[in-house]
Amino acid sequence: MNVAWIVVIALVVLRIGWRLFVKPRRAAKAAAAPVKPLKPLSPTQRKWYTVWVFFSINIRRLFRDRLALFFTFLFPLIFLFVFGGLNSGNKSVSFNVAVINESKVPFAKTFTEQLSKNKAFKVDKDVKNFSQANEKMGRSELDATIELPKDFGKPAPGQIHPSGEVIVHYTQNNEQAAQTLAGVLQSVTESINVHLVHTSTPLRVVTERSNQRSLSAFDYTFTGLLGFSILGAGIFGPINVFPELKKMGILRRLHTTPLRVWQYFLSIMLGNAVSGLLSIAVMFLVAIGVFHLKVAGNYLELALFLAFSVIVILGIGLAIGGWAKNERQAAPLANIVVFPMMFLSGTFFPRFLMPHWLQNITSFLPLSPVIDGARLIATEGQHLWQIGSQLGIMAAWMVVVYIIAFRVFRWE
Amino acid sequence: MAKSDEIILKVENLQKSYEGKKAVDGISFEVKRGEIFGILGPNGAGKTTTLEMIETLREIDGGSATIDGIDVAKNPYKIRSIIGVQPQTPGFQDKTKLTELIQMFAAAYGERVDPKKFLDEVNLGEKADAYVESLSGGQKQRFSIVAALVHNPKVFFLDEPTTGLDPQARRNLWELIKEVRDRGISVILTTHYMDEAEILCDRIAIMDRGKIIQLDTPQKLIKDLLARGFTKEQKVEQANLEDVFIDLTGKGLR
Repeated sequence: MNVAWIVVIALVVLRIGWRLFVKPRRAAKAAAAPVKPLKPLSPTQRKWYTVWVFFSINIRRLFRDRLALFFTFLFPLIFLFVFGGLNSGNKSVSFNVAVINESKVPFAKTFTEQLSKNKAFKVDKDVKNFSQANEKMGRSELDATIELPKDFGKPAPGQIHPSGEVIVHYTQNNEQAAQTLAGVLQSVTESINVHLVHTSTPLRVVTERSNQRSLSAFDYTFTGLLGFSILGAGIFGPINVFPELKKMGILRRLHTTPLRVWQYFLSIMLGNAVSGLLSIAVMFLVAIGVFHLKVAGNYLELALFLAFSVIVILGIGLAIGGWAKNERQAAPLANIVVFPMMFLSGTFFPRFLMPHWLQNITSFLPLSPVIDGARLIATEGQHLWQIGSQLGIMAAWMVVVYIIAFRVFRWE
Repeated sequence: MAKSDEIILKVENLQKSYEGKKAVDGISFEVKRGEIFGILGPNGAGKTTTLEMIETLREIDGGSATIDGIDVAKNPYKIRSIIGVQPQTPGFQDKTKLTELIQMFAAAYGERVDPKKFLDEVNLGEKADAYVESLSGGQKQRFSIVAALVHNPKVFFLDEPTTGLDPQARRNLWELIKEVRDRGISVILTTHYMDEAEILCDRIAIMDRGKIIQLDTPQKLIKDLLARGFTKEQKVEQANLEDVFIDLTGKGLR
């Protein structure tokens, strides 16, 4: 059992405990207590009280909205399961093969059984003859067919030990797989040969695993998906919500009050940081519990960094959503901004796969330092002061997008 | 507090043009403390634009407006904290309890209030924990009015408040608006219903093509018209169809 499961169980216990014990007691207390007169607020307190009320009510609202909950918590998990499943499955290379044994010699039978036990092969037991095998190879369901001919295992004339040829059949699009497979089979037969005929082997290759921790494909996938969910929540959230609020005249009505834009923005920023961190925490729990993600860094630093990331990316959403009069203005602009980042910032495939010049350019996109920074802290265990260049780029973007957001904001 | 002669809103030579066309063409009027002032006029006369300029929502091109001695164009934030605005179609965010919405509106003015007290005022106490989308049209209007008054404003603006309501809800809303006036709040409303203006307004301004063409009490305006020799086809009935409707369905709110 690992940390993730302990956290999940602890949360469930706390939640049930709250329902059963704390909540009813509080309700009873509130009903019994006389209504206290509210203390007047000082002018400074008033400003922050405004932000606090807007923030806390909007958070409560999120938990009542099933659709919002789905997009905040479950949607990123679906991506996590799909991409995590693709990348973290079986790390060792294995081949799908069929074995057709036409020899009646017992040695051939043993050989076949040994092959099915070898981890490098996945033997398709349904294939009984060549026509079935060819059909499956044609559909690329099989990488190759291994044939043991009629006389396989019979001692050669004048010898006592078994001998014969193993034939690997492949189609033209499986040439590489067949070569590798032949190599694997070669080593299998050689190790048997050693037992049959005693010879000395002057040159050998020995492999040994080093203890240096390295990044797995899943580490890249996971931080990419973190970036994807931050992008989705920070940009698609506001661009869907603001036009709706404008259409219903809700913002217009707020405009008739002394509410300042900074108070309104700040309440949204806090709300998104909290909901974003909760959604990311769920992703981490699943990644640790199901996909064995190893978090090397400090959780507090990670949380601070991710909260900052959420706020930077949210600025883009606030600028677009705050400017747009309706969905038709918001959607195309959001797509123009989101899609390049989605493909160039390392959400679905890591940036190190790109040519160098492209890596250099794309490192300045707002989402790239978010994904890189999250990976450096979470999986490489670096500290905030070690990722200064990422933080610098993010801070610069934050200044730019929020200046734009404040300038272009429209209440209706 | 009843009506007094203290001037709360003063509008002088107010102007607004859209692409060279004058939407509001130099209008002037005054509203006293604790009176209901109606602005009437056909669509496009400039009623809404006038209200929006006074509410600080639109820039004033020419002339001036002052509320309680404060210049609207120079101190928009001060003005917003002493006015309440009820828009034509009140919209509230969904999945939010009435108590929470009241809290939010109060918070927008930097005020902390007891929401229950306000909801009880307009008979919505039972609905305190309901979401706003579950309210009927009339309930929504009453809620919208109380939400606009959480900060105890000096002037209250309503844009066509009873459009789309059933006769019961309209009557109830009239009573509510009169109560607001009796608290000493000046009410400025626009309407297309002449019966509403006649019953509700202490004084009315009739606008057309961006100008105020008449301004007086409804009774005086009617008297003046009759004095000019106006006659209408006489009716013998002492009741109209609406009286029949109310008699049949009662005054109870739905």
